[in-house]
Amino acid sequence: MKKGMIKATSGFERFVHWCLALSCLLLIITGMGMMYHSLDFIGGMMGGMGNLKTVHNWTGVFFGMALLFAIVMWFREAGIPSFPEDGKWIACAGGYLWHVDKDKMPQVGKYNPGQKLFFLVVAVFGIIMVISGYIMWFPLDFSTGTVRTMFVLHALGFVIILAFFIVHLYLATIGVPGSASAMFTGWVSRAWAKTNHPKWLREMEEKGTLVTYGGEKRSGRA
Amino acid sequence: MNGLELVKLIDLSRCTACRGCQIACKQWNNLPASQTNNFGSYQNPPDLEWNTWTLIRFNEIEGQNGKVKWLFRKDGCMHCTDAACVKVCPTQALFYTEFGAVDIDYARCIGCKECITACPFHVPRYDKATNKIYKCNLCYSRLRANQPPACVQSCPTGALQIGARDEMVRKAYQRAEELGNGATVYGDKFVEGTHVVYVLPEAVTVYDNLPEKPEIPAAILVWKDVLKPAGLIAAGAVAGAAFLHYVTHGPKVPTEENNNEKGEI
Repeated sequence: MKKGMIKATSGFERFVHWCLALSCLLLIITGMGMMYHSLDFIGGMMGGMGNLKTVHNWTGVFFGMALLFAIVMWFREAGIPSFPEDGKWIACAGGYLWHVDKDKMPQVGKYNPGQKLFFLVVAVFGIIMVISGYIMWFPLDFSTGTVRTMFVLHALGFVIILAFFIVHLYLATIGVPGSASAMFTGWVSRAWAKTNHPKWLREMEEKGTLVTYGGEKRSGRA
Repeated sequence: MNGLELVKLIDLSRCTACRGCQIACKQWNNLPASQTNNFGSYQNPPDLEWNTWTLIRFNEIEGQNGKVKWLFRKDGCMHCTDAACVKVCPTQALFYTEFGAVDIDYARCIGCKECITACPFHVPRYDKATNKIYKCNLCYSRLRANQPPACVQSCPTGALQIGARDEMVRKAYQRAEELGNGATVYGDKFVEGTHVVYVLPEAVTVYDNLPEKPEIPAAILVWKDVLKPAGLIAAGAVAGAAFLHYVTHGPKVPTEENNNEKGEI
């Protein structure tokens, strides 16, 4: 770790993130193993389709718990849009799709609207997946119409979550270099923070809550 | 009968509710009986069960002059040509036999119960003890041996017949015409044609548990024909878009001025 790196996430945040991410990945793999017959070998690897479904169901329980922690933990920071800057950010797609002059880019806080959208999609569709999955686990306890609706919701949630999962993976790694360390070590570079989340950096400096690696906590407005 | 697409014709005008078919089915398929429970009807057991693949339903309706009319219907798997259960089964345990019937491979069934929800006729039943789904398979073992299904074999009145699809459908219409008084043929027009066809002496709507227009539920079609391919298309599209973004627009690296400040990414 280089001196001067900035603390972006707590150990607990990273723990919850990886619980959610890895269980989500396992759910996608096992779920696809059930939906696409050409992926039957995934069931084979787990000793049969019955085992695959058991793994899927219980991973879903774990995912649901991790999701609960994630929502409670991140809702305040990532669940509420802040106007007007989020509107401006969306209008210029955050500068990700075409060139936007620096002075026209709104100052981004800890999470940009794209990240907030990702959080909301995971929260909303995650809850839908857990509830619909539970009902599909015990279909005889519910009306036929209810279970049929859950089939549609569960498949729709899969389509959307998988697409967002891939975008998230891209942007967190090679799409925005320097991001991944926020979820591995918890530290990010100052240059990364200043480029991607300048308002967050400035506010921490003003409030004196900025934590740098190998340095003292900066006092406010020093 | 080998290699033929077969239809079981059930002429309800000839059914006397002797329930020989119910017993023959249990005998051939080695299905235990359930404890009899009087619920005010001769219908016994009250519904299809994992161990009751066919059942005579007793239906009381008001006929002419306010007299009670007793209707009997042999319920069981309709053996759809385009079967919702086969479509939803995640393990391909449910499959079409060479006779056009729908059978279950018990080594593959994982008891997920999705077929129960999908079936428009509410036929498959679940057994907790074995964690499997059960239903009629049109006596596959007997058909293979060139024998009629046990129910057909047992029927003393000729209400049950089995034969080539076209021949049975033709016979059904012939019989319905003979009966008149609103008698209809049920089965050949739904789900690409069922492999069980009824001659109904009364209107479809008066029979218990008989859907007027059975079809693969819309939810199943949206799931399997729309969302299932959409999942792969969407995943492929965003992965492709991410790659294009990387090679055309490029990654978002810290700007020069920010970089120079500390000289690091």
